[in-house]
Amino acid sequence: MIRLEENDSPFLLDPHKRGLQNLDRMARYPRTAPVDLLVVGAGAGGVTLAQRLARKGWKVVILEKGPFWDPDRDWVSDEKGAHGLYWTDQRVIGGNEPIKMGKNNSGVGVGGSMTHFAGYAPRLHPSDFEVRTRDGVAVDWPISYGELRESFERLERELPVAGQFWPWGEPHSYPHSAHPVAGAAAKAWQGAVDCGIEMRVGPVSITNGSFGNRPHCIYRGFCLQGCKVNAKASPLITHLPDGIEHGVEVRANCMAARIEVDDETGRATGVTYFEDGEERFQPADAVAVCGYAIESPRLLLESTSARFPNGLGNNADQVGRYVMVQGATQIAARFPELMRMYKAPPPEVSSEQFYETDESRGFARGFSIQTVAPLPIDWAEHVVAEGHWGEALREYTRDYNHWTVLGAICELLPQAENRVTLADETDGYGLPVAKFTHSLCENDKANIACATRVMEDIWSHAGAQDTLKIDRYAHLVGGCRMGFSPDESVVDSLHRVWDCRNVYVCDGSVFPTQGAANPALTIMALADRLAKLLDDKRG
Amino acid sequence: MDFREAHHLPSRGAPRPRDLPRQRAGTTPQMHGRYPDWDVLSQQGHWDEVTRHVVLARLDPPPIRFFAEAEAATLTVLCDLLLAQDEEPRVPVLRFVDEKLFEGRRDGYRYDDLPEDDELWRRVARGLDEEAQRLGRASFAEVDEEQGPYLCHRFSQGELDAPTFQTLNPQRAFQIVMRDVCEAFYSHPWVWNEMGFGGPAYPRGYAAFGAPHLGEREHWERPEAFELDPVRDTEARELD
Repeated sequence: MIRLEENDSPFLLDPHKRGLQNLDRMARYPRTAPVDLLVVGAGAGGVTLAQRLARKGWKVVILEKGPFWDPDRDWVSDEKGAHGLYWTDQRVIGGNEPIKMGKNNSGVGVGGSMTHFAGYAPRLHPSDFEVRTRDGVAVDWPISYGELRESFERLERELPVAGQFWPWGEPHSYPHSAHPVAGAAAKAWQGAVDCGIEMRVGPVSITNGSFGNRPHCIYRGFCLQGCKVNAKASPLITHLPDGIEHGVEVRANCMAARIEVDDETGRATGVTYFEDGEERFQPADAVAVCGYAIESPRLLLESTSARFPNGLGNNADQVGRYVMVQGATQIAARFPELMRMYKAPPPEVSSEQFYETDESRGFARGFSIQTVAPLPIDWAEHVVAEGHWGEALREYTRDYNHWTVLGAICELLPQAENRVTLADETDGYGLPVAKFTHSLCENDKANIACATRVMEDIWSHAGAQDTLKIDRYAHLVGGCRMGFSPDESVVDSLHRVWDCRNVYVCDGSVFPTQGAANPALTIMALADRLAKLLDDKRG
Repeated sequence: MDFREAHHLPSRGAPRPRDLPRQRAGTTPQMHGRYPDWDVLSQQGHWDEVTRHVVLARLDPPPIRFFAEAEAATLTVLCDLLLAQDEEPRVPVLRFVDEKLFEGRRDGYRYDDLPEDDELWRRVARGLDEEAQRLGRASFAEVDEEQGPYLCHRFSQGELDAPTFQTLNPQRAFQIVMRDVCEAFYSHPWVWNEMGFGGPAYPRGYAAFGAPHLGEREHWERPEAFELDPVRDTEARELD
C-alpha cells in the first residue's frame, strides 16, 4: 500500500473488528495540571489536529459531546436506526430560507459529521482562495491554495481518496483508482456526455484496494448511515488510532460549557464542561475549538467574561457571522429499467465543469454536480417536496427502484446576517441553544436556478420519463471566519482568535468562502497545515 | 400494467392501486405492491445482529403512551389518509410517532415560527378537530370520505385556519408531520416489500449493481411484477 509518513492508523485497526483496538493504552491526563492543548470536538478538524500535534509531543485532550462509537456495536445498516449519529439537541432555525439541522448536516460522537457524510472528498480550487480579487464578491482567504496543496495530497493518501484523474481546479490524480460505476450513476454520465458535460468517477474517501487493515468497500450503499465496514473514511478510523498511540486522550460524553479566560492576562486557562451531570474544569495552555459552524460560534458566544462581555473573540461582533451552506437542490429522474440506486456508494460520479464564474451566466461563482442515492425515507422526502401525499406519495415511492438522482453543490455567498446567535431557550445542560438565521441573496438564487437547469438537461438527454425536484441545502461552514484583520474576521491565518491568542478555531467554521466542493477534505487539510506551523515540543 | 412505461405515475394520471398485483410473499401495507414475491424479512439471516434487532422491533411497536386517546383517534385517521392506508394490513404509523415523542427523540431543529415537536403534534390534533367541527363533525376522527382528503389537501397547502392553526405556521407544521410520518412508514419492512427495497445490506453487500439494463440482479432479489410472464409464471408455480 501507499506509505503514510506520519500516520499508522490503518495498521492499528483490526481487519475483523471495526472499533478501535488501542483504547486500553489511551492516555489519561489529570485535571489538576494543564495539558498542552484542549480540543473541543472530535471531528474532522479536532481529531486531525490532535493526531498531528501528539506526533509533535503535545499532550492533547479532546472533549467530545457524543459517544465513543464502536461501529460493530453501535451502528446499523438502516436509515432510521442511524439517528444516533446526528446532533439532535435543540437548535432554532429562521430566516427566509431556514436550514434543517440534524441528519442533514450535523454529527455527534467521536468521528464527527464525517461518520455520516457521503464520502465525497474533492479539493477546493485555487480560485476559491481569491474570489474577491477574481470575481469581486465575498472575500479572499488569508492563505492561498499553494499553502494547502501538500496538506490536500497528504490527506488524500491517508483517507484514502479513490477517483479518476481530476481535470478541474488544479489537475491531480488520486491514490486509489476509481470505484466501479453502478447502473444508476451511469445513467447520469450518459445524459451528461450527451449534452457535452464532462463527468469523472469520484473523488470519494472509500478504500478501493489494499489499505492496512481497512477492508474494501462492499457497495452496500449505507454511507450516510455510518460505515460498518470501515471502508469509508472518518477521523475515528483515519487519524484517531494513531493519535491515541501518541498520547491523545478522548473524553467522550463531555459537553463543553465555556472557555475560561484570565481577565488579567487575557489568555484562556481551560474549559469548563459537563460530564455525568457534573461541571468539571480542565486546565490547558491552549484551547482549540473544533465544534463546526454552529457549535464553535455558540461556545465562543457562551464564553463571556469581563474582557469579552459579548463572548470570547467577539469584541468586533464577528463571531457567528457569515455562516454558509451550499445550495443542494436535487433532481430525481425516472427510467424504464430498474435502477436500484440504493446499491453502491451514493457518491459516484461528479462534474466540476461549472465551478468557476462564467460571466455569460449572469452570476458570480458556480456549482458542482454529483450523483446521490436517497434511501426510502429520504426518497419519500423527495416526493413530499413536490407537494404529494396520500395515493400519489405511495405511487411515487413504490416506483423507487426506477429512479436515480443528481444533486448540485452551489457556492452560496457569505452574508453577515446569515448568523448564529444565542436563543432565549436553553438545552438539557442549561446552556443557551444556538439560533441559525439564513436567507438567500440574488446571486445565490441565480446560481441554484442555473444548476437546476443543468441537471434537468442532463436527465432530459438521458431519456428520463419523469422528474422530481427537491430544494435543499447541504454542509455548514463559516461562523468564525479566518481573515486579514480583527474587524472583519474571528481568527488569523494561524487559526488564532484575534484578541485571545491561545485559543484556536480549527474546523469548517473558519472558511471565509466555501467553494462548490464538499468541505471535509479541506477541513482536515487546514488542521494538517496548522499543526505543521505549530511548535515541536519533542525533546 | 407495464411499469416500464410511466403511465401509472401521478404526473400522468390518477394512480390506481387496485390494479397492483396482490402480495404473495410476506406482507405489504394493504397487501398490494410491485414485487409480489419479495419479502425482505426472508433475508434477515444475512443481516448483522444489531441491525436485525432494530428492524424486527418495528414489527411490534409499543402502544400509545404520549398522546391522549382522543388525540390518537384523530391523528391515526390523519396518518392513514396521508399514506393512503385505506384497509388492513396497516403499518401502525402513529405508534412510531408516539414512541418518538414519548422517548423525547428529536431531529435537531425547531423553526422559529413553530413550537417544539411534541406541542406541535398536539396542536395539529386540536386544529384538525376544530376544522372537522366546522364541517359538522364531532372530531377529525369522524370525517367522511370526502371531508378527510379535503382537509388533508388544505393542510398540505397551508390553508387551514381554525383557531389553533393560527398559533403556528400551518405549512411548516404539515412538513414536520410528513417528516415524522414518512420516517415511521418508510422504515417499516412491509413498505420495503412494496417498493422492492433490498433492506439492510451488511455484511453481505451487493455485487450486481453494474448493469440493470441487462436485467442483472442479485440471486436473492425478486422481479418486479411486469417482468413476470403470466403463462410461464402460473406454470412454474403449478397453478394450472
